[in-house]
Amino acid sequence: MKKIICIIPAYNEGKNIYKTVQKVKLYLENVVVIDDGSSDETAYKAKKAGAKVLIHPINRGQGAALQTGNEYALLKQADLVVHFDGDGQFLASEINDLVKPIIENNYDIVFGSRFLEKKSAIPKFKTYIIYPLARIVNRIFLQVKTTDPQNGFRAMSKEAILKIKIENNGMAHCSEILYKTHLNKLRFKEVPITVIYHHFGQKFSSGLKILKDLFVNKLNQ
Amino acid sequence: MWQQIIALIIIIFFLSRLIIQAKKKTINRVEFSLWLVFWILATLAILFLKQIDSFLLRLGFSSSGINFLLYLAVMMLFYFIFKLRLKFQSLDQKLTDLNRIITLNKAKEEDKK
Repeated sequence: MKKIICIIPAYNEGKNIYKTVQKVKLYLENVVVIDDGSSDETAYKAKKAGAKVLIHPINRGQGAALQTGNEYALLKQADLVVHFDGDGQFLASEINDLVKPIIENNYDIVFGSRFLEKKSAIPKFKTYIIYPLARIVNRIFLQVKTTDPQNGFRAMSKEAILKIKIENNGMAHCSEILYKTHLNKLRFKEVPITVIYHHFGQKFSSGLKILKDLFVNKLNQ
Repeated sequence: MWQQIIALIIIIFFLSRLIIQAKKKTINRVEFSLWLVFWILATLAILFLKQIDSFLLRLGFSSSGINFLLYLAVMMLFYFIFKLRLKFQSLDQKLTDLNRIITLNKAKEEDKK
């Protein structure tokens, strides 16, 4: 039996985290919420819902929280981790779809994709402008070809966690993980997932910030 | 002539600030030396502006010495901003690492209980 830990980074998700943890708990026993320096009741509510809560003293961003979660999972001898969002935009029932290829077919990493069989109500501006541009950027600069260029729902094997250290603290971690998957020649797969949009999500300016973060991080290495 | 005098007064002002900072020990010796050399070079450039003009002419440039100094200053500013950004990024990462160490240590202690 493989030990699976679900990592949920959360920043001021007091309104959603209780429900999110409870839903994930139906499918996975080990749920770890990384409270990324929230000023609301995120940590309290996550704990109440039955999650193990790690608290960042100061807000460092989603990428930083995920890396903290990955390192904690290694400490707890996890065989694989699932990255899940705290705002309830992913379906916990789809966790098994991501985990299965790693357990049954020895994939190293499995990415959720909004652009396969299942259809999500993605804002049109994102579908026709932002994501095609992001795909081009990923292909040219990161040499990665995936249907979904920016998705936070993924499963990683222990080997993948050991090889991929997330260094981009912010939202650029999605592209960074894709790039490092390619760089380390890890076996990856995309599986269809559904995303529920409560709001528009990342704007075009966020996309530009991701590009800047990737560029500055690369220069710093 | 007047422009040169104004430029020199500005340099003297910055040099005095630099010396005050060094006396207060708010900057280290390396930083002090770096800026001292920078302002001395700037003073020399202002004093020998005509020589720079003729030097540039000999190299085939049509612009005057003062323009050349301005271009040089802008280039240096961009370089310093670039270096600052890298330094800032590095400090930012160290802050994240420290944050993570504190978080994981606390979690380990909690798990032991």
